Amino acid sequence: MYRLSRLKYVFPVGLFVCLFLDGALSHVWAPLFFHYPYSMASELVLLWLTLAYFFENGIEIPLIPFAAVAGIVADLYGSGILGLYMFLFPCVMGLTTILSKYFSSSFLSMIMIFFIDLVAFSTLNYWAYSLVGVTSTPFGDYLVYVLAPTLALNLVYFVVLYWPIRAIFNWATDEKTA
Amino acid sequence: MRKFFSNRRLVIIVIILVVCFGLMAGSITMRNRRNTPPLIQQFGNDIVGFADSAVALPVNWLQTSFSSVNDLMNTYSENRELKQQVTDLAQTKVRNQALAHENKQLKQELKLNSSMTDYDTVTAAVLMRTPSAWQQQLVINKGQSSGIKKNMPVMSDGGLIGRIAEVNKTNSKVELLSDTSESSNRFAIAIHGTDGIVNGIVTGYNASRDELVMGQVSSKAKLKKGARVTTNGMGGITPKGLYVGKVARVGKDDYGLAQKVYITPAANFNDINIVTVAESASQE
Repeated sequence: MYRLSRLKYVFPVGLFVCLFLDGALSHVWAPLFFHYPYSMASELVLLWLTLAYFFENGIEIPLIPFAAVAGIVADLYGSGILGLYMFLFPCVMGLTTILSKYFSSSFLSMIMIFFIDLVAFSTLNYWAYSLVGVTSTPFGDYLVYVLAPTLALNLVYFVVLYWPIRAIFNWATDEKTA
Repeated sequence: MRKFFSNRRLVIIVIILVVCFGLMAGSITMRNRRNTPPLIQQFGNDIVGFADSAVALPVNWLQTSFSSVNDLMNTYSENRELKQQVTDLAQTKVRNQALAHENKQLKQELKLNSSMTDYDTVTAAVLMRTPSAWQQQLVINKGQSSGIKKNMPVMSDGGLIGRIAEVNKTNSKVELLSDTSESSNRFAIAIHGTDGIVNGIVTGYNASRDELVMGQVSSKAKLKKGARVTTNGMGGITPKGLYVGKVARVGKDDYGLAQKVYITPAANFNDINIVTVAESASQE
């Protein structure tokens, strides 16, 4: 039961900390993230949501509503353009759910699912923004200068944060004995 | 696959797509037209801004302490260089004071209250940068309540870095000059050449060389590399005399008719911690 576990607090707090860390890290490491011609987008929120799906241990977190809320905040506060992340985050969660049916839940398949999530997420993001006119980068440039560095950065996040996040969820999901 | 794209699902997907693009297009037009976002959005952004400071400030603090240690390593050589500059600066400062005093007296004589060179400044800290490859945008921790308004110019490192794109009560968004959106870098500027001043506007940003482009300069004036570029105060919102950068090179436009001037900006767009928002005094 989500409402009775520690996750009730841990999950939303972690989600918003990740959301704000995305912005703060992009600011602090801007020379690294936005070194011409490469741009990396930090997607800790996506990492948190995906890992939450795998580590929830049978406690059903309402992931899609939370993803939508995180999306609205990212839209309004982060980019100022409403309507993209509020749909993309829940869509990616849906994709994770579908994909996880076909793969076992080992470290390698998780990182592969996260990889597919990231590709889908940033490509849809690019596609939508180029339709609306926010960007006019050619698709080839997008693949080389945006998608590749973004994948590299976020997969590093995944490898570094996999065990800490698993520990947090294990602590938050075990029965309150004390 | 046939089952996945059942009729009902297809309809839902189409509706979501329509709503998604409608919202995006709507919010982009609204952002360009309105001076402030709707009240509910401002309120939400203010609350999120408060929560963000809890994460952003410790991270910023960590970065500052790391860079302080780094600075300490360079102190000796930097100090020697700075000492030379200080003697120079003292002289300029005294002269500046005398000129400012004289300027004030002359203005009083002319009964001129405030001109385009008068401006007040608001200093703000950067909370975050939009974590996206498509927008070069910062969120700063001052808003309407500190007197910030949309389209005000923003400076850092002594040079112009962008303009205010959205204002909430306690935080606002800054669009950097390096952003690709059309309105982000259209500043009226003046180049102080050897034989007079050349006015124009910034027409683009060349990301590969980190240069601002001032196109369609029809003036015959000779512009030298290293000439100073400042804002010229035209348009009324941006005060006169904000430092933009130096001329890097001068070329011809595609048809060989007009000059195209490339300007190296004074500020580094990827290393901005504290910003200064300039508020033109003649605006009120």
